[in-house]
Amino acid sequence: MKNVLIGGIGNVLLGDDGVGPYIVRFLDAHYEFEPGVEIADLGTPALDLIDQISGRDAVILVDSVEVEAEPGTVQLYRKEDITRLTPQVRMDPHSPALVETLLAAEMFGKTPAEVLLVGIVPQSFEAGCALSDPVAEAVEAAVGKVLEELDHLGVGYRPKSQPDHITTWWASGISPEEPELSKA
Amino acid sequence: MAQRITIDPITRIEGHLRIDVEVDNNSVSNAWASCTMWRGIEKILRGRDPRDAWLFTQRFCGVCTTVHAMASVRSVEDALQLEVPLNAQYVRNLILIAHALHDHIVHFYQLSALDWVDILQIPKADPVATAKLAESLSPWTRNSKEEFKAAQDKVKAVAASGQLGIFTNGYWGHPAMKLSPEVNLLAFTHYVQALEYQRKALQVVGMLGGKTPHIQNLTVGGVANAIDLDSQSALSMDRLEMIRVLLGEVVQFIQQVYFVDVCAVAAMYPEWFKIGSGVKNYLAVPDLPLDTRGTSYDLPGGYIMNGNIGGTQPFKTAADAVFRQGVTEDVTHAYYQGDKPLHPWKGETEPEFTGWNGEQKYSWVKSPRFQGQPMQVGPLAQVLVGFAQGHPLTRKYAELALAKVSAIAGVNATPDLLHSTLGRHAARAIRAAMLSELADKHWQLLVDNIAKGDLSVHNPPVFNGHEVEGVGTHEAPRGTLSHWVVIKDGKIKNYQAVVPSTWNASPRDQNGAHGPYEASLLRTPLARPQEPLEVLRTIHSFDPCMACACHTFDPSGQQIAKVKVL
Repeated sequence: MKNVLIGGIGNVLLGDDGVGPYIVRFLDAHYEFEPGVEIADLGTPALDLIDQISGRDAVILVDSVEVEAEPGTVQLYRKEDITRLTPQVRMDPHSPALVETLLAAEMFGKTPAEVLLVGIVPQSFEAGCALSDPVAEAVEAAVGKVLEELDHLGVGYRPKSQPDHITTWWASGISPEEPELSKA
Repeated sequence: MAQRITIDPITRIEGHLRIDVEVDNNSVSNAWASCTMWRGIEKILRGRDPRDAWLFTQRFCGVCTTVHAMASVRSVEDALQLEVPLNAQYVRNLILIAHALHDHIVHFYQLSALDWVDILQIPKADPVATAKLAESLSPWTRNSKEEFKAAQDKVKAVAASGQLGIFTNGYWGHPAMKLSPEVNLLAFTHYVQALEYQRKALQVVGMLGGKTPHIQNLTVGGVANAIDLDSQSALSMDRLEMIRVLLGEVVQFIQQVYFVDVCAVAAMYPEWFKIGSGVKNYLAVPDLPLDTRGTSYDLPGGYIMNGNIGGTQPFKTAADAVFRQGVTEDVTHAYYQGDKPLHPWKGETEPEFTGWNGEQKYSWVKSPRFQGQPMQVGPLAQVLVGFAQGHPLTRKYAELALAKVSAIAGVNATPDLLHSTLGRHAARAIRAAMLSELADKHWQLLVDNIAKGDLSVHNPPVFNGHEVEGVGTHEAPRGTLSHWVVIKDGKIKNYQAVVPSTWNASPRDQNGAHGPYEASLLRTPLARPQEPLEVLRTIHSFDPCMACACHTFDPSGQQIAKVKVL
């Protein structure tokens, strides 16, 4: 049994930054995964991400990425693509820190063998909004990339016969009645 | 001639802290603190059900999710005058303590220790001498030469690879770095160990809160933890026992490692007890309520004006009338519309971006003021107001810290030294030690109360059509947090969050008074203005949290912190 984390990163209150949490919610609603797979909405964890990824066999993170490309473009990054970057001199020690997290995990010998970042190019970070059209249209492709990675890892999953209903409670007038994704 | 230095971690999306300083003869002569992004998240709460607000507010910040959840439910409870059952108070208090211990450990080791510790000195250290030094300071069992050797080997391997990895971009070899190789190794070894103990503290938050990040157990009027000492699916004795064990390990780390390290490092940089004071008005709110109505607390609050410790005014409650009436926000130098300071219940958040102009508007942070004055918030404020009131637990650890610094440095360290950059680090360690003692106490209070047969965790809120106002406060790791809500017809009419970093990072106000970050930088000596390590030391001592909201990975990763000298 492989210990695999599928984690969505981003702030759901800020438009397309919520795409990571939305996609892991979508995966949880539509698929069943073999034991050992944990699906989590990680929010914007900064260095707390070290604890989430340490000791895993594999980690798949879904996040918005800032690159010069059309909104909705899906881009993949491997561990080496991330750790070759220069960590920040941070004014504000709570800044998001994916690069530092992986470097720290590497230094302390707990880095997962396989890390994939599925990145989606955002259009808008307006507070209180749902996903923009191009990003919403990219959800299916990004989900496909996560499933391909599971195939590559040899981790089993199957579609649910009756998908669960999901909402973007943060962007609608409704109450956030659904329980959050919880740790497996 | 004055040089202008801008420190601006440029990323395109995240809101960040930017500092501009003017330097004259290697000393800071003027300073501006600004935040580069507007969030305006509060506006999305209008029209929503007040019982849901906390689920949104805990997404304000990626790191301090819990604190915004807590302040939010407290604001609605204050508006409704709703009592909170004892069990719920204790469960909340345990969550707040565990979260704060996690946060203080991470702040010192992972986020600011390397402002003082020079990684490149570590290969020169003697692990045996380091162990001897460590044993003279603390009974911590993991101060063996084997532990030090293992940590040193990690650094040697990184240095030998030519790739500094996580340590790239530090100001290594800077003339303001003064620790011996052995003290550098000692602190770094504890940096590695700290990763384990902060995790244990966070596990406690997760066990009580359902998960982390984003706890799930709060509700307006209490908590949603079912209590049944014999059930595996509820808050049971087994689970409480696991929490006790985890907290015990964290408490030991705080008392035997963190507290000691801060005193030892501080004693070796005594000049930093004279740098970085700035605004000597201090504000803290009482926290860790001990009854259902919030009339007595384990952490004292109050305010101090102009450094006059003897004139400290206590707050009786977490929503004291003097506090409720005294807070305003000024937007003279912030990118918002408005021409006068407004009370948070009347607060507006209408953007008016004009670009950075140090004479006019230059920040997305408003200027919160108390009785018209800028106030410093954070552990230093809390320790000083407690110390002044003779609060026994505050005095115990403040005196212990001063005695340790005095013994190591061979000086007579007095409470006056706390108005400084190192004073803020020392106060955070003092507060952590206080909280570590209170962790045991509140665990016992919860267990004893359950043992009496009280299983109550929730009082249901009742809304009527009247317009009501409430303030929910929390003395968070970074200082006084307050959420201000106006409720009408059971819906949110207005909502404002006045967060600790807003108090400390505030720009000038209508009177031209500097905010605390700005004031603390004045007269700071810089050994090498092009490597402004000293500015980072003082700013980091406040534990700033600005990029509270938005995360985007930037795969170019090239340019991140720009230090521009003009």
